[in-house]
Amino acid sequence: MKIENEYDLDKIVICPKCFTLHKETPIKDGTKALCTHCSSVLYRYDSNLAKNGLALSITALIFLVLANMFPIVSIDILGHEQYLNITKTFLTLFDSGFLIVGFFVMFLIFVFPFMITILYMILFALLYFRVGKSLSKDLLILISHIEPWSMAEIFLVSILVALVKLIGYAQIHMGVSFWALIAYVILDIYITKSIKISEIWMLRNRVYDK
Amino acid sequence: MIEIDEKDLIRCPVCNAVNIKKGKNNHCRRCQSSIYKHTKFRTEKSWAYLITAMIAYIPANLYPMLITNQFGHQEGSTILGGVILLWEHGSYPIAMVIFFASIMIPILKFMILIYLLISVKYPLGKDKKINKHKLFYLTELIGPWSMIDVFVVAILAGLIHMANIQILAGTASTAFALSVFFTLLSAHAFDEQLIQEHNRG
Repeated sequence: MKIENEYDLDKIVICPKCFTLHKETPIKDGTKALCTHCSSVLYRYDSNLAKNGLALSITALIFLVLANMFPIVSIDILGHEQYLNITKTFLTLFDSGFLIVGFFVMFLIFVFPFMITILYMILFALLYFRVGKSLSKDLLILISHIEPWSMAEIFLVSILVALVKLIGYAQIHMGVSFWALIAYVILDIYITKSIKISEIWMLRNRVYDK
Repeated sequence: MIEIDEKDLIRCPVCNAVNIKKGKNNHCRRCQSSIYKHTKFRTEKSWAYLITAMIAYIPANLYPMLITNQFGHQEGSTILGGVILLWEHGSYPIAMVIFFASIMIPILKFMILIYLLISVKYPLGKDKKINKHKLFYLTELIGPWSMIDVFVVAILAGLIHMANIQILAGTASTAFALSVFFTLLSAHAFDEQLIQEHNRG
């Protein structure tokens, strides 16, 4: 294989799943390129990526703030009302002396989701307004490091599991935050999983090269 | 004009950019992060994390995960005990979820990582029937889901703490959280280039 210089390597895509080499080809707006070997998505082309991403990440941040402001669930056991919100899950662990688990839970469901959402918001804003070339690079690198550790969706499933365990012992009322958390998780999965990090790098190349 | 071998192309683990392999001091041309710079200790870091995770998994199964304090009477339940209890109560789907998340996934992940780490060093699984890249992708995908049990304990402990009835986290929750954490680190430390190199020669 012959290339002009190292920048031509941007034209080559390695499949994230099976490692097969592909040559990047221009595709129509709104379509996606699939791996020929395992048909997983390689990249998509969306001319409105920065605009959509900015809108989605702002919405996600609003839902995340809502999810942290109100109780997720409240239960009624023998006349005693108890409620739970996100901060209470790890504050209780700190209170009972489980510092390590408390820290894990705090970072995985509170600190990292906030960081990821805010970082994506800043990143898409920079790309949308075509400013901050080096800052957007640092943000992208930081995002790649934090992203595997943001576990809001797993927390959501855990809430459901915990509630099923309590059925029969207590009356369960869903709070406002529960629905906000569902909305956040859907948006978060779209932003972090559906929009591939390499698509944003490609977008960055297009934005600043013009 | 540079002439390159297609097999010398590697992917940056941080930003996914395609790079030419240059041996030592491999820095990604796009994000400048070093790409698996340890050329002498290539699997050892991953092994170390993996062994730590496996050691932490033992107390995670022996000690109680959840302690129920009912009118001064304390009762602990281990991970497996909890699954059996749920099964006996008839909540089969939840018992299955906990069983998969806390027992199947960690063990499956240990086994896949052990297989990958051994197979990149010794002639094992050379037939290429199993795509090791896919296997590795799978471990990264399912790995974090074993945190479910830790979160469930945190939720129940946060929700139920009344004067008469309390649910407390048990020693196993710390051990289990550490085990999951180190398994994730082990998978991150695994050098995906090794699969490629081994497949070749």
